[in-house]
Amino acid sequence: MKHIQKSAIALMLTVGVGFVSCTKLEEKLNSSLTADQAQSILLKSTDVSVLLQACYDGLQGFQSQDVATSLQENSSDESLVPTRGGDWDDNGVWRVIHAHTWNADHAQVGGVFNNLLGVVFNTTNVLNFSPSASQAAEARFIRAFAMYTVLDLYGQVPFREAGENLLNAPKVLKGAEAATFIISELNAIKAALPNGPSAGGPAYKANKDAADVLLMKMYLNKGAYGNRAAPTFDAADMNAAITIARSLSTKYTISANVWDNYAPSNDVIGKENIFTNQNIGGSRGGNVRAAWYKTNHYNMNKSGWNGFTTLAAVYDKFEATDTRLGVNYPDPAGVLPNPAKVNTTGFLIGQQYDLKTGAALKDRKGAPLAFTRAVALQESGNNLEVTGIRYWRYVVDNKDGNDGQPDNDYVFFRYADVVLMEAEAILRGGTAQGGNTALSLVNSLRAKRGATAATSVTLKNADQNSPDAGGVITILNERQREFHWDGWRRQDQIRFGTFLAANALKPVTDAKYLLYPIPNGALAVNPNLTQNPGY
Amino acid sequence: MNVKMLARLTLVGLFACVLSLFSQAQNKTVSGKVTDAKDGSPLAGASVVVKGSKTGSQTGADGTFKISIPASATTLVVSSVGFGSQNVEIQGKTSVDVSLAATSDNIGEVVVIGYGTARKKDLTGAITSVKAKDFNQGPITTPDQLIQGKVAGLQVINNSGQPGSPTTIRIRGNSSVRSGNSPLFVIDGIPLDGRNARPGLNASGLGQTPDANPLYFYNPNDIASMDVLKDASATAIYGSRGANGVIMITTKKGSVGAPKIDFSTNIGQNTVRKKYKVLNASEYKAALSSYALTAGNDGSDVDAQDAIFRKGYIQTYNLGIGGGNENGKYRFSLGYSDQNGVILKSNLKKYNIGMNGQYKFLESKKLSLDFNLLAAHNTDIGVPVTNDAGFQGNLVGMALQWNPTRALYKSNGDINIVPGESVVNPLAMSAGYDDVADITNIFATVGLGYKLTNNLDYKFNISLNTQTGVRKATEAPYITIPGVEGRGFGFYANSELNSQVLQHTLNYNKQLTSALNMTAMLGYEYQKFSYKGSGMSAQDFTNQGDVSFTSIMQNSSAASRSIYSWNDPSSELQSYFGRIGFNYEDKYLLTATFRADGSSKFGANNKYGYFPSAAFAWNIHNEGFMKGNNTFSSLKLRASYGVTGNSSFPAGSAQSQYTFGQQSIALANVANPDLKWESTKQFDLGLDFELAGGVLYGSVDYFNRNTTNILFNFDAIQPAPATKYWVNLPGNVKNNGLEVSLGAAIIKKKDLQWNAQFNIAFLKNVLENYNGPAVLTGAISGQGLSGASVQRLTSGQPLNAFYMKEFMGLDQSGNSTFRDNGNTLYYIGDPNPRQLFGLSTDLTYKKWSFVANFNGAAGHNIYNNTLNALIPIGNLGSRNIASSLIGGVVKESLANPITTSTRYLEKGDYLKLANLSASYNVGTLGALKNVRVFFTATNLFIITKYSGFDPEVNTDKNIGGVPSLGIEYIPYPAVKGFNIGFNFNL
Repeated sequence: MKHIQKSAIALMLTVGVGFVSCTKLEEKLNSSLTADQAQSILLKSTDVSVLLQACYDGLQGFQSQDVATSLQENSSDESLVPTRGGDWDDNGVWRVIHAHTWNADHAQVGGVFNNLLGVVFNTTNVLNFSPSASQAAEARFIRAFAMYTVLDLYGQVPFREAGENLLNAPKVLKGAEAATFIISELNAIKAALPNGPSAGGPAYKANKDAADVLLMKMYLNKGAYGNRAAPTFDAADMNAAITIARSLSTKYTISANVWDNYAPSNDVIGKENIFTNQNIGGSRGGNVRAAWYKTNHYNMNKSGWNGFTTLAAVYDKFEATDTRLGVNYPDPAGVLPNPAKVNTTGFLIGQQYDLKTGAALKDRKGAPLAFTRAVALQESGNNLEVTGIRYWRYVVDNKDGNDGQPDNDYVFFRYADVVLMEAEAILRGGTAQGGNTALSLVNSLRAKRGATAATSVTLKNADQNSPDAGGVITILNERQREFHWDGWRRQDQIRFGTFLAANALKPVTDAKYLLYPIPNGALAVNPNLTQNPGY
Repeated sequence: MNVKMLARLTLVGLFACVLSLFSQAQNKTVSGKVTDAKDGSPLAGASVVVKGSKTGSQTGADGTFKISIPASATTLVVSSVGFGSQNVEIQGKTSVDVSLAATSDNIGEVVVIGYGTARKKDLTGAITSVKAKDFNQGPITTPDQLIQGKVAGLQVINNSGQPGSPTTIRIRGNSSVRSGNSPLFVIDGIPLDGRNARPGLNASGLGQTPDANPLYFYNPNDIASMDVLKDASATAIYGSRGANGVIMITTKKGSVGAPKIDFSTNIGQNTVRKKYKVLNASEYKAALSSYALTAGNDGSDVDAQDAIFRKGYIQTYNLGIGGGNENGKYRFSLGYSDQNGVILKSNLKKYNIGMNGQYKFLESKKLSLDFNLLAAHNTDIGVPVTNDAGFQGNLVGMALQWNPTRALYKSNGDINIVPGESVVNPLAMSAGYDDVADITNIFATVGLGYKLTNNLDYKFNISLNTQTGVRKATEAPYITIPGVEGRGFGFYANSELNSQVLQHTLNYNKQLTSALNMTAMLGYEYQKFSYKGSGMSAQDFTNQGDVSFTSIMQNSSAASRSIYSWNDPSSELQSYFGRIGFNYEDKYLLTATFRADGSSKFGANNKYGYFPSAAFAWNIHNEGFMKGNNTFSSLKLRASYGVTGNSSFPAGSAQSQYTFGQQSIALANVANPDLKWESTKQFDLGLDFELAGGVLYGSVDYFNRNTTNILFNFDAIQPAPATKYWVNLPGNVKNNGLEVSLGAAIIKKKDLQWNAQFNIAFLKNVLENYNGPAVLTGAISGQGLSGASVQRLTSGQPLNAFYMKEFMGLDQSGNSTFRDNGNTLYYIGDPNPRQLFGLSTDLTYKKWSFVANFNGAAGHNIYNNTLNALIPIGNLGSRNIASSLIGGVVKESLANPITTSTRYLEKGDYLKLANLSASYNVGTLGALKNVRVFFTATNLFIITKYSGFDPEVNTDKNIGGVPSLGIEYIPYPAVKGFNIGFNFNL
């Protein structure tokens, strides 16, 4: 018995000592990589394209209805989200955007700031992984695009160099200083960027032509970034924009059908598109389906969320023949025959029809589904489901299986923008080149759109809500017709000085609303940010 | 290595177990009855052993025993926990009656503390022990329900009425602004992971299904006691996992005596405690005409709630076999329960096996071996009742909204489905949705002990806990939810949760002088946790439903498929701890504990945390000046102070992680190398007393908890790879309160006993010294409420303070008006109860006994998101509305916007009779002993003004991981019911 006891003790001591050996407490990540691992793997495989892909994916936020595009469009005179009884109150987030009464706690204001600066971070981080010159240029282009959007919305852009300690507060570029930085970045990387669609490159990758368009945007808006209340336009900047436009005009033409640029296969048939965000039907991409979900009534083909509308004053700015008002675009998927032969793009007003059967649709209470001109920020009548004119910017992708992920690439830059920016630059004091005038440029576009030729062109009407009349076409109205719900309206209105003016559903508003506030969360952690005046 | 070792040790244990089943030669029978010397009541479970031998038995519920002993035996030793031991001469006797004197009714009992046990009278900390006889009655699914309302300062909320639903458990209030407010659970000395391996499911168009209860693998019938450790003196030994308190679960063990079989069974039936008040068909028609609506009357008369609710039948069977001798004891148990929920299809089946043994070896009995195996398999059939669905996607919501004039079935008997319609028929949803999770949990522990000297014991424990969960869910293509209709949905996922625990402890106990006793414990513990899984989902099956989609995922369209897998960073915790205690003449008690916790989760700059505590107790009744005092049989003053931690942030937060997306890699977080545990300092002052030998007894505790280094997922400094990062924020969460427990033996006669226990806690919670922006939580779901929230964390307010517009009634046009026109939001209400209370009483008359358990809470608010969003006035004409919206002084406008406001903030105060039980002791029935039959009714009544399903509710409405509290959103409704059953032993 004694020897059993001894061996038992021996066993226990062995076991005990065997188990007691201390651990160094090193953390194993298992399904992700540490910074060191990522560095060595990415350097070894020299494939930073996976990192770049995450940067492109970071721009998918633009496709959703409640992020950057909401701040750019719903605050303008061409989009709003009325509260419809039970729907779209959302604690007033939509009403305050259109009425210009938002504050620094607004969820969209905070979310967009974080989303865009996340892109700024990810693009800068690519530079830590020895990318090729072309990849570095791509990353820096996406960064410039994100920084430009932050500048446009908030007037201040926090910026880190590659490799900075993330627990330290970064420096902040403000106003014109930020604009100068973005312009210098674009000029520095242009040569190294891949070719644009004009030379066979895809529009959904950063490219030389996209850098050109962004440069034009910067030159045109630089004065506004320096002083939003009273922008000035430097002739040198206007001339630089015109020079770029000339070079692009040799590579692109205006499409015969503007809606091709927004169709599910617009990566192939959208000849005007210069920079887009890629969506692969049924596979990967962003929330471009919001383009129709946000405006469709529940009972329409593609049951929607019955929200966003435009204003009657905008609808009234179109001639009946203008294809930008909407066309019957044949369903690319071939599943909706549209026997009633109604428009399947553009503005939706009056009685709506089932695109499959041709039957007149009804709302959920059994009343005719007929969209009205009149709309209020807060609907209160029995017809609240049907108020407001709706708008389909993108051709609905009805292909089976693409419901979750439609195929339409989301459009940022399109050649028509280059044409109208060139005309505007001429009217703002730039020198016309190549025998063009503002009038000839605008008419070249209008001819393709089925609109009557202008007799003269000016920047804007005294009342920006009124339609163009007597053959005098205004750039501001023409841009609205061409880019309705494309995300440019707030920027255009600020540059043209009409953003604070009254429209049907909002009074004249305070100059502080020319900038969105810095979100409270961001102010709390970065002392280099200062709250924008008035907030 | 670990697994092999465990297997071997388990085998050894089993072998020993089998050996002891062979009983020894016997030739004389002695029977008798053991009673309480005080009142003559029978003593169940008393041990009866032949002196100097291994032969023994136990008394039954009626106090009787029968034992076969060698003819040569002369003396029996009779003893019972809490009572003295007595030698009984049996020469020439075949029957003896023994009455035992209580050592002290409540103070003599043994309670479980961290890494050991202690006599209650030696305690210096605030610990409440609840024994099996005091557990809640009725159909209990998870162990945490056993002690609801039983412990002062312990809040247990059944989040919903779903079988196996999680509970919200708080000891002494909320201390953390993040998730991780649940106490640490420790089973037979082994700390648990606290998660559940049922894969999460966010089915197409439905939203997030609620989590399952992490304890639902453990059979409540296998539990002997639960000890709630509340103050720092008790919890600091658990260091960085102890800040929310600790609940120690002790499973039943065998006892000395011949093998004994226990059997119990019960069957019961549950129904929905309260249906939501929505309009019936005639009220609906009246409302339509009152609003001059022409559409909306479809001519039928249905009640959609009745259509999806049902009587839920429950059956439970438990079998236990236990026995042993002085060399070893064993217990083997089997459990089966089958619980139908009160919603169609909903069901939880539990299969439990338990096996444990405690053996001593060698002539000297110095070597001991314990093993404990708890295995469970649960089949959990879920229903589409999600936390965050919009107006579609929640089955209960569909039923509440269903137009009562609209037929649920077509005339041909088919379910009434209108393709393309946004209103979903709840019967179609129920029929078309299947969700089955199979989860297996194996919890195995082996312990080896050796008595190194008379004063020094060494113990080694190794424990493995493996959970695997498989979940399959499908949605039929006829469900008219966009994205599901015409496409269907199949989901197949699995996850694996593993944890290992390894413990070495040395216990030392020495009488230093005749007056001074010292106990000391030193220990090392290593814990490792890992969690991983994978899943796939797909749509567009060509099969029309004859074969489950989850059996033929390849039948889907390639474009609709989604696959994922994940493997969380594993986390390791390595700890060194010790405890030392001094007892001077049973008058002055001193305890000090210390723990050093090193965690792989902590940042490189903070690898180890240190958690000390000290406590002092004064047994006043043992003082000379108390001699001759007949009022107090026990009076003890306690004071303790200590530091505990909370480290429930995700592993991997302290270092940079590059994560993989679809063909992409990106840095996913902001690393914080300074990240560490959240620290709670707690002071406790307590008084335990017992009057007149146990007629009245109780405790009063004042506590003050101050939590600093608040763990938070805070705004990252942009530009950054993520919007949030884990950081220890400056600020304090303060909880203080007073707990009072009182018990009384009101009547103590031979045939009639009546006892009552009451407890109440007064709690106060506030966040202070936090300078950041207010943190939003309490997401409100529903149409027109995207992005809405009603709770905030901000300085000077309690955690989760309600923050919203103040409703001032309807104006003449029937639209809501608000204070300051709704431009200002106010802090207006608190979901944290100011008072928690529980009341239990039991009455025994001869063979009858009756038990009632009440619990309640007061001083808090509940936000009724269901009423706010789901059944508003605007539904009239297409969907149903709440009855409360009709018949007011002002007719509410159909266009009144849905918005969050105090209109939906209600008082949450309630008192409920949680269970009422009657039982009759039949006694011996043929071969069956201690036959008892019982009847229990649960949730018999509730006193509350809350208008929702039940004030005991907590739908998970977190925002970005910041937990919400006190919000109801279309939960699985609470239930009431009854069950009857019987038990006996052999």
